[in-house]
Amino acid sequence: MSRETSPEPSESLPVSAVAASPVGRSTAERLHVAGLHAPGDAVLSVRDLNVRFNSENGVVHAVRGVDFDLLPGKTLGIVGESGSGKSVTSMAIMGLLPETAEVNGSVLLKGKELLGLSDKAMCKYRGKELAMVFQDPLSSLTPVYTVGNQIVEALTVHNPTMSKQAKEVRAAELLGMVGIPSPKDRLKAFPHEFSGGMRQRVMIAIAIANNPRVLIADEPTTALDVTIQAQVLEVLQKAQDETGAAVVMITHDLGVVAGIADDILVMYAGKPVEAGVVDDIYYNPRMPYTMGLLGAVPRVDISEKSSLIPIEGMPPNLVHTPTGCSFAPRCPLAGPECLTGEPPLRKVPGSSAHQAACVKAEALGGDVDVHDIFHAPPVPVSNFAGIPREDRKTVLELRDVKKHFPLMKGALLKRRIGTVKAVDGLSFDIREGECFAIVGESGSGKTTTLLEIMEFHKDQDGEVVIGGLSNKEAADSKTKFAMRKEMQMVFQDPTGALDPRFTVYEVLAEPLVNQGMGKSDIKKRIMELMRLVGLQPDHVNRFPNQFSGGQRQRIGIARALAVNPKLVVLDEPVSALDVSVQAGVINLLDKLRAELGLSYLMVAHDLAVVRHISDRVAVMYLGKIVEVGEVGRVFDNPRHPYTRALLSAIPVPDPEVERNRERIILEGDLPTPLDAPTGCNFVTRCPVYAALPEAKKQKCLTEEPPLEMISASRAAAQLEAETSTALDQRFACFFPDGDLDQSSLVSHASAGPHAP
Amino acid sequence: MFRYLAKRGITYVFMIFLTTSAGYLLAVSTLKPALLEQERIPRPTPEQVVNSLSLKGLNPELNPWERYVDWLTGIVTRWDWGRSPNGAFINAEFGDRVWISTRLFLASIILTLVIGVALGVYSAARQYKFSDRAITAYSYLAYIVPAPIAYFLVQLAAININDTLGKRVFFVTGISTPGMDPGWAQFVDMVAHYAVPTIAITLVGWGSYQIAQRQYLLDNVNADFVRTARAKGLTRNQAISRHALRVSFIPVAQSIAFTIPAIFAGGFFAEKIFAWPGVGSWSIDAISQQDVNAATATLAYGSVIFAIGAILADFATTLVDPRVRVQ
Ligand SMILES: Nc1ncnc2c1ncn2[C@@H]1O[C@H](COP(=O)(O)OP(=O)(O)O)[C@@H](O)[C@H]1O
Ligand code: SF4
Ligand code: SF4
Ligand SMILES: [Mg+2]
Repeated sequence: MSRETSPEPSESLPVSAVAASPVGRSTAERLHVAGLHAPGDAVLSVRDLNVRFNSENGVVHAVRGVDFDLLPGKTLGIVGESGSGKSVTSMAIMGLLPETAEVNGSVLLKGKELLGLSDKAMCKYRGKELAMVFQDPLSSLTPVYTVGNQIVEALTVHNPTMSKQAKEVRAAELLGMVGIPSPKDRLKAFPHEFSGGMRQRVMIAIAIANNPRVLIADEPTTALDVTIQAQVLEVLQKAQDETGAAVVMITHDLGVVAGIADDILVMYAGKPVEAGVVDDIYYNPRMPYTMGLLGAVPRVDISEKSSLIPIEGMPPNLVHTPTGCSFAPRCPLAGPECLTGEPPLRKVPGSSAHQAACVKAEALGGDVDVHDIFHAPPVPVSNFAGIPREDRKTVLELRDVKKHFPLMKGALLKRRIGTVKAVDGLSFDIREGECFAIVGESGSGKTTTLLEIMEFHKDQDGEVVIGGLSNKEAADSKTKFAMRKEMQMVFQDPTGALDPRFTVYEVLAEPLVNQGMGKSDIKKRIMELMRLVGLQPDHVNRFPNQFSGGQRQRIGIARALAVNPKLVVLDEPVSALDVSVQAGVINLLDKLRAELGLSYLMVAHDLAVVRHISDRVAVMYLGKIVEVGEVGRVFDNPRHPYTRALLSAIPVPDPEVERNRERIILEGDLPTPLDAPTGCNFVTRCPVYAALPEAKKQKCLTEEPPLEMISASRAAAQLEAETSTALDQRFACFFPDGDLDQSSLVSHASAGPHAP
Repeated sequence: MFRYLAKRGITYVFMIFLTTSAGYLLAVSTLKPALLEQERIPRPTPEQVVNSLSLKGLNPELNPWERYVDWLTGIVTRWDWGRSPNGAFINAEFGDRVWISTRLFLASIILTLVIGVALGVYSAARQYKFSDRAITAYSYLAYIVPAPIAYFLVQLAAININDTLGKRVFFVTGISTPGMDPGWAQFVDMVAHYAVPTIAITLVGWGSYQIAQRQYLLDNVNADFVRTARAKGLTRNQAISRHALRVSFIPVAQSIAFTIPAIFAGGFFAEKIFAWPGVGSWSIDAISQQDVNAATATLAYGSVIFAIGAILADFATTLVDPRVRVQ
């Protein structure tokens, strides 16, 4: 059980010996100084954890030597791309892996070895000392039991003598603690009556029911909208404060852990490749993979002038043990010295706890620019760059487009009980060479908007003009065909959008054949397209499943571009991709827009991506645009309270910024469009409204704010006067820049990351 | 809950009315008892045939719509479902037969469900072990083999047992021995008559339940919510039996709606093979006898069974899935 890879003498001790020997305070201090923690110090201490699965293709070595110590009350962030072994690590600690998994190493919980315990013996710890919150809140609760029932069960398991009333009281208390209003009544609710965010709160309530010492959260907010993510992260921190638990926060999003973690462990291909305190990792990364990851994420808080850093290639297949550095095939710095044996985690000189697994770690400190290392492409410049917006042609225009769904009830005789206003009077236009983005939470009407544009039918409510063709004038198949030539779509899920039975060649040939192109021309065009999107032309005869997610998305883009459209509609084009891959696709989209003079209409929920790629942005809420304008203006100077909240909710991969940030936490979920309030749509969650004096509140409740530029801010008025052009920013709120309700503001600035 | 079931009930009554009416109109325009009457020896004159049929309310000279109105009036005003060409009253005939069929199927349905679901759970718990493979293989076999053939095989097996034991333990045809003294002897006689058909129907029926229940349970064994339950501190087996099992019952409960009518449909063959004078064999006869009223009555019975199946499925679903109650 000794590890050859570890240079530290204390770690190469047989684990059983470490566990058995009584560790005195002095030893602990000595180790602490050496950047290590004595096992007696840590609540959870993982050593050389290895997990292997038997699969059809051979043994998958999913986790290869994970070590970490978790100190009481502290937060450890584990980050890495999907498939890097984060979830398997957490499940191994919890003892929840399938029996077929082979788990080696040591997991000490307060000095007690957990590995090798039977399922029954593990049950003493699970839910009591060790608790876990999982990724998908929608499927993590049993649908046929009430929420209360499921919380009470967690209490019953570990407190068999607790009375029924006491358990009920405690369950209500827990539900209240995680921020569910009127908890006593809500105990009787079933999971399906709760939204995703509320279910995740229930999961947290279950996890902290018995005051665990260690709380593991595996991507707890990945499935949630940003505003809900902010709420849930807040609840998690509160839960940690209440219970004093140490937290392992697993995520692929470097922003999520920047503000809350004390230590970070970066995983790649089942191995920790860099570890250290949070500032070391973010400000002084020494492993090219970490550096690449940090450069690959777009930032929402600053407008970047540089391209994102793409990490080419894919993580290795874990069936084959890497002979050298597992990152070498993707690493721009890889040299022959990287291929002789896997580099172990070694201490970075000049730091006590910072470790990196790279032979060149020493050379990578200081002022090395990641953009140079990873050869980030230059920022592409479009032909339209110098031409003012007003002088460009309009490629798409929407005028007062509406889509209302009647809501019916009854089995035989249906009656209308209301109307869902999915899209409620949308107007905007897109000019040549421009990228226009629509952002908003799920349910705000983004997808319906796209569907309405694709529908292109005479009887639609409102007018859609695509490349000069209006849906009102003609909607026969010929016009539709002409419209399709103007506008093409790229879908969110690159796997679902490609038929697995067709080769890439056939996929790309289809739209060309429809255009009546000759055989040899098609062949030429396909080769051209493959090169254009950065795929190898000789891969055309492969099937979609032989490509990675990012490559499949490139195929989707190539298909959309086949007929030379002017406008490409992008429906969440990168949200299904890992950050490193996402960066490559974003750069590609940027390049294509400049080179081909394309316009984009993009729907996205990731505002950082939008900031990076878009020129203009519209923020949607309940079927309406609440703020629209030039992306820099809207993001740097948001006026509508919803935009302000949305932007403040987005985590930034910068610990310093995160710690000092003030967050606006919105109350509750998106209301169903059915009970959309009269007056301002946002009134139920608006933090400005909440702080308004009674007299002014009436206005929000009764009148609908129009979407316009109110020069309420003097600075804006002055700017407008100076430049003598109307600022490109409009919003629908009577009290822009209004004071915010104090209770909706959260900040952890004063006393470090864990202020109570 | 009761309002919900009552509402469903009304819908079903309406649907039964529609199917039965459509069935009557179809039967009355295609079944011609007059043709059969004319094959009698001595051959009756056409006038005699019309006369005799008219007396039984089966006048072939009226158009289908007039006969439908007559027939419907009879049912609505007097609950009189008419007569057969041979003069028998449908009400009386049906009354005798419906209990024979219902008694036979009731026992089979309950056994099929209980055994199928129990074996499904048992085999899922022992996935890929020998017992699982054996049970599931049997179920697929029972699923593939046509029901009449399976019934014959069971009948043969019962005869074999009788032969080996040298005395008559099981009756393979009929519903009772005539002239039995009431009391214990009659009860034993009844069991001996019921055993073979009930076993036959059950043996054939449980297969699909076992397969479905096994699959639904296995689908849920690794569900996220089972993992949550284990993370709370339940053992794997506790988590499965408290969480996965209940959820896996939901689709099985819903499938009752189709299985009950299916067992009845299969039962028609069973009645023929085991010579039970039930509704099933009657309905088969009704067609060959060109008996409009009997055919329609059995159709009505079939729709009622369908409705009962659907209502029971609703009820069972409500029982295992409390979410339905809340709505
Ligand atoms: N039950 C399993 N059987 C076989 N391979 C598995 C199993 N669970 C996970 N793996 C593999 O282990 C690797 C790590 O997966 P995971 O821990 O889920 O990654 P992450 O959580 O970092 O996205 C992946 O290659 C995955 O395919
Ligand atoms: S060891 Fe070599 S290949 Fe691996 S990350 Fe460092 S420089 Fe790149
Ligand atoms: S109009 Fe009133 S309720 Fe609506 S966003 Fe502005 S302040 Fe809030
Ligand atoms: Mg994972």
